[in-house]
Amino acid sequence: MGSIRVFLIATMLATMTLFNFVATLQGYQSSLEEAERLFDNHLSQMVKLIANLHVEHMASNLNQSSDLAYQLWHKDQLVASSANSPKGFITELTAGFDYANFNGYRWRTLVHYAPDSDYWIVAAERTDQRFVLAEKVIIKAVTPIVLGIPLVGLLVWLIISRGLKPLRNLSFQLKHKQIDDLTAVKIPDLKDELEQVVQSINDLVRRLGSALEREKRFTADAAHELRTPISALKVQLHNIAEEVSADSQSFAQLKSGIERMQHLVEQLLSLYRFTPEEFANQFERVDIYLLAQNVLAEQHDAFEARQQSLELEGSSCYIEGDPFSLGALLQNLLSNANKYTPFGGEILVSVECSEGKVYLKVEDNGPGIKPADIDKVFERFHRLQKNLDQVFAQGCGLGLTIVKHVTELHRASIDILPSRFDSGCAFVIQFNEV
Amino acid sequence: MFLNSVILIFQETLEAAILMSVLLVFARINGIRPTWIIFAIAAGLVGALIFAFNMADISDWFDYVGQEVMNALIQLIIILCLTVFIALQSLRSRVTVSRHQNLIYITCMVAVVSLAMTREGSEIFIYIGMVLQQPEYIRPTLTGTGIGAGIGISCGTLLYYGLLGLPPRWAPVCGATLLALVSGNFASQAILNLTQADWLPYTKILWDSSVWLPEGSLQGHLLFAFFGYEATPSILQGIAYIAGMLFIGLSAYVGYRAAVHGKKLQPRGELVK
Repeated sequence: MGSIRVFLIATMLATMTLFNFVATLQGYQSSLEEAERLFDNHLSQMVKLIANLHVEHMASNLNQSSDLAYQLWHKDQLVASSANSPKGFITELTAGFDYANFNGYRWRTLVHYAPDSDYWIVAAERTDQRFVLAEKVIIKAVTPIVLGIPLVGLLVWLIISRGLKPLRNLSFQLKHKQIDDLTAVKIPDLKDELEQVVQSINDLVRRLGSALEREKRFTADAAHELRTPISALKVQLHNIAEEVSADSQSFAQLKSGIERMQHLVEQLLSLYRFTPEEFANQFERVDIYLLAQNVLAEQHDAFEARQQSLELEGSSCYIEGDPFSLGALLQNLLSNANKYTPFGGEILVSVECSEGKVYLKVEDNGPGIKPADIDKVFERFHRLQKNLDQVFAQGCGLGLTIVKHVTELHRASIDILPSRFDSGCAFVIQFNEV
Repeated sequence: MFLNSVILIFQETLEAAILMSVLLVFARINGIRPTWIIFAIAAGLVGALIFAFNMADISDWFDYVGQEVMNALIQLIIILCLTVFIALQSLRSRVTVSRHQNLIYITCMVAVVSLAMTREGSEIFIYIGMVLQQPEYIRPTLTGTGIGAGIGISCGTLLYYGLLGLPPRWAPVCGATLLALVSGNFASQAILNLTQADWLPYTKILWDSSVWLPEGSLQGHLLFAFFGYEATPSILQGIAYIAGMLFIGLSAYVGYRAAVHGKKLQPRGELVK
C-alpha cells in the first residue's frame, strides 16, 4: 500500500471531494428548482397586479423590461400588452403555467382569468434570464466549496501528519538504532494504538539481547574450555611423535583431527571477539594495501605449498577500521581461495580507490560458487563443497561468516561476482574511503 | 454553463483517470517506479496544447473531417498499445521478462496515458478557451470545471486504492477487465468518429434506450463516462465495442500461451524492475 500517510491523505481527500461535490451538484439542482418556484410566485404576483390595474395605468405602472411580457384579453380582444409581446396570443388561454416560444426566446407563461371583469391576463418571463439569474446566485454559494478543497487538503495533510507523528517517531528510532543498541524503545506521548506495538518491540529486543548474551557466553565459554585440553593434546601428540613411525596413518589422522579442532576453536573465538558488543576498539586509519601486503606475506607458504600464483595489485587506499579484524577478514578470504583453488591455480588480490570507495578484491580461478549457493556461503558452518575430499585443508565453515561479520562492522558491503579468470569467483568488498 | 462544464470535464477526466489508475496499479504490482507517469502527463499536456492550438488546421484535413479522423486514430493507437501492454502483462505475470520487453511495457503505458490526455485535454482546453471569451460564463464554467475535475480525479484515486486493496490475485484481473471496457469504449467511439467523417457507412441502430435511460440524464452521462454508454448505438459501434474488448482478452491469452510455451525462458523469479 506504500506510505500510510499518502494513502490516508489521498483517500480521505478523494472521498471528501467526491461527496462534497456530488452534494453540491444535488444542492445546485434543488436550488434551481427552488428558484424556479420563486420565479413562478413572482410571475403570479405580477399577474395579480396586472389584474388590479386599470388598463390606462398599466403601461405607466409596469416596468417595461425585456424579460417580462404581458397581455390583457377581453372577449378575444387584446386590451393591453407590453411592447415585447407578440400580436397574437402568447399562449393558449387556459389558466395555469406553461411554456411558449416567441421573439426568439423560450418563455415561462402564466394565464390567469379574472371572472369579475372577464379579463384573461397572460404574463411571461424569459427562461434564459431566469436561469442566468438563478445560476448566478447559486454559483456564488458553490464557488467557496470548490475553492475550499485545497484548504481542506492542507488541513487533512496537517491532521494526518500530526496523527501519525508517534508512528514516525517509532520508525525513526528503529531506523537509527545502533547495531549494538538493545535498549528499550521510548516514545514520548505514546498513543493507545501504538502502546502494544512498542511493548512487543521492546519485548523482542529484550529477548534478542538475552539470546545474544547466551550465544556470546556459550561461544566464549566453549572456545575457552576447549582451548586448554587441545593445547594439552598437542603437547601429548608432540611427545608421542617420536614413538610412532613417521608414516603411521593413525597418527597422521589424529594430528589432522587435533589441528582441525584447534582451527575450529580459533575461529569460534574470532567470531566471539567480533560481535558488536565486544567490538569496542576504536577504528583507526588503515592502509588496506599495506595490510594486504602483510597478510599475503604471512600466508605465502600455504600458497606455495599448492604451487599457486598469488599476486597483489593496486596502491595505497585508506579506510577507518580495526586492523586486526580486517587482517582476519583477508586471512579468511585468502584461506578460502587457497583451499578451493586447484593446484597451480591463480589468486589475485587487488586494492583500488574510486569515487570515495575502496575496493578490496580477492579473485581466483577455482570452481566458483553456484548462484544458488551465494546466499548460503555466509551462513555459519556452511561448507562450500559437500565433498570434503576436494578440500585441501581443514575448514569449519566459519571463515566466510567472519568475513561477512567484519564487513558489516565496518559498514562495508560484500559481493560475490565472477572473477576475471575463465572460472572462479571474486569476493569484492566495498569500504568508504577516508 | 455550470452543469455543462461539470459533465464535460467529468467525462474527459474520468476516462483518463481510469486509465491512469489501472496502469499505475499494474506498474505497482510489477515493482515499476511511478516516474513514468510524470513523463506521460507532461507529454499528454504538451500534446493537448499543441492539438488544441492547431485544431482549426487539423479540422481542415481530410476534407474538413480532420478532427474526427485524428480522434479515431488516437483511440485506435491507444487500443493497440493496450493490446500489447496486456499481452506483456500476461507474460510477465508468469515468467521473467527481458529488459527489452520491460521497456516496451513501460512505453505502452506512457503512450496510452499521454495519448488519452492529449485527446481529452485538448477538448477541455478548447472548451475553456471558448468560454473565456464570454466573461459572464467564466465563473460558472471554471467552478463547473473544478467540480468535474474534482469528481473525476477522486474517482480515479479511489479506484487506484480500491484495486490495490483487492487480493493480489484479483487486482490484475479487475484491472484487465477495466482496460477491456475502456478498449471497447474507445473502439466504439473511434467507429462513431469515422462514421461521422463519412469514412464508414451509417448502419442500423442496435437498440434505442433513449426513453428509459437518455444519454442526457445524469445516469446516462455517468454510464458514458464509465462504459461509453450510448442510447442509440449503431450495429457497427456494437461490433467495435465487442471487438475492442475481445482484443484485450485475446492478447492476454497470447501472453499466457507465450509464457506456457516459453520453457526456454527463465522460470518465474524476480521481476525486472
